[in-house]
Amino acid sequence: MTDTIETLELPPQKRPEPPKGGRRTRLIVAIALIVPAIWSALGLDISIERLLSAPADMWNIIKQMFPPDLSYEQVFERTLPKVMESLYIAWIGTMIGAFFSFFLSFLAAKNISPPWLTFMVRNLFNAIRAFPELLLAFILLPITGFGAYTGTLAIGLHSIGTLGKLSSEAIEGIDPGPVEAIDSSGGRRTSVMRFGVLPQVLPTIVAYWLYRFEINLRVSAFLGVIGAGGVGAELVNQLRFRNFPAAGTVLMMTVIVVLIIDAISSAIRRRIIAGKPGEEAPPEMFAAADQVEML
Amino acid sequence: MSAEAQSTRPAPPKKSVKPYLITIAIIGFTIFAAQQVGFSIAELGSNLANAREFLAKFWPPDWEWAREEVPGPLIETFQIAILAAIIGCLVALPMAFWASRLTSPNRWFYYIVKSFLNVIRTIPDIFWAMLFVVAVGFGAFAGTLALIIFSLSIMGKLLSETIDSVDPGPLEAAKASGARHTPAVRSSVMPQVLPNYVAYGLYIFELDIRASTVLGIVGAGGIGRLLEAQRAFFRFDRIMAVVIIIFIVVFAIEQVSVYVRRRLV
Repeated sequence: MTDTIETLELPPQKRPEPPKGGRRTRLIVAIALIVPAIWSALGLDISIERLLSAPADMWNIIKQMFPPDLSYEQVFERTLPKVMESLYIAWIGTMIGAFFSFFLSFLAAKNISPPWLTFMVRNLFNAIRAFPELLLAFILLPITGFGAYTGTLAIGLHSIGTLGKLSSEAIEGIDPGPVEAIDSSGGRRTSVMRFGVLPQVLPTIVAYWLYRFEINLRVSAFLGVIGAGGVGAELVNQLRFRNFPAAGTVLMMTVIVVLIIDAISSAIRRRIIAGKPGEEAPPEMFAAADQVEML
Repeated sequence: MSAEAQSTRPAPPKKSVKPYLITIAIIGFTIFAAQQVGFSIAELGSNLANAREFLAKFWPPDWEWAREEVPGPLIETFQIAILAAIIGCLVALPMAFWASRLTSPNRWFYYIVKSFLNVIRTIPDIFWAMLFVVAVGFGAFAGTLALIIFSLSIMGKLLSETIDSVDPGPLEAAKASGARHTPAVRSSVMPQVLPNYVAYGLYIFELDIRASTVLGIVGAGGIGRLLEAQRAFFRFDRIMAVVIIIFIVVFAIEQVSVYVRRRLV
């Protein structure tokens, strides 16, 4: 019987060796994380017990916010105008940033402008971006006074830096073909920009503007904290008087408006980048749209 | 000449009133919003004239004072960012796996964790800082907690989206050979997203440093608390010194972070 069964000749199986040095790397990584964490915790006087009791403390506050104060006065007379003010600030701030960054980004693109110019404009963008909006507003306050105007300027200025960086990178990523075609057929420099560069980058850049608008809405919400206009001021007031239901209303309405604007804006972004529903978009366009998230 | 060789000019885009209507609507809204926030070109001109006068108050920065007073809060800023980034990213690791369709243990879990992450992300970090100041009192602890939430929300979003896009093959293979859910995910999905996790972690650390420099303005510790204190005394020269230091720190951290991330990915 046994001779009827043919044994299949397999090459000797060898289990792959486990990668070397795994334990040592893990140890080094653990030490590199734990030592700074302990140093920080000691410096800030934070203990494990305090850390673990924090969620309960927070829950206490959140519990007091429910149910939120949904009276007509709180919702429509106090909070809604402030939320709308935040929206206007974000919009005008984005417009300022879009306008200035649009022209500057051409000067910062390596395939358009000479190196000395790109170096200067690029570092200008980097320098602007290093000032958080709250800090900008803080510096501007004594010059321009309390109110929405200061917040608008702070957001506009910061947006020039962030949008300029993204837009110039989009311009650097274009296909050089159309540019060369217009150049070689004798097109002027402005024609090269208008017909060779602009059609390629405009969808991406407009998507960046919309994305920045979404971020700016969140920023303009908290700029009110230092008196630069927007819904933050209302939150500060309500928390100062420990009127938690009203603070809950402010938070809730901010979240709702931010979510609505996000939904609208990302739908428009998708439409701009991906084209009409049903039309196929090149995959690299989606990649460009996703990349924005990591700003 | 054959029909194929003859190139036809592409038809020009169809004319439509829609783009004009959209443009008019955008311009209209912009003008309305500009009025609402009190923005005008004339105002900007008068501000520029004012600015020169005010800059005299800001200049020169008070470095002598800064040398004495800034190092403590500056170290505190770093400590807040370090602790918040580490704790936030660690807590975010399991949550990101729960918030991805591919690796979530079940649908309900997926929806709950995903919406939780979405909602906490809509509330800006400064608002979290204010809420924690009310909940646990003034100081660096409130700032650390706010930034833990902030780090958690960003890492949760970035990592869960990365998990969504990994190759599901290894996970299927592990499951087919009888592995339970958690070990299967750990050995098949985890290695695929680990480089991204580290890169995101560095990016979040950079964001945390940036955020923790200004948290002090709402009383949540760090170098920003000097700004608020000195504003009360109208010591703009000292504010200028702090602003310059914050600028240098944020600028330097970003350059380092960009360099490290480029090396890593």
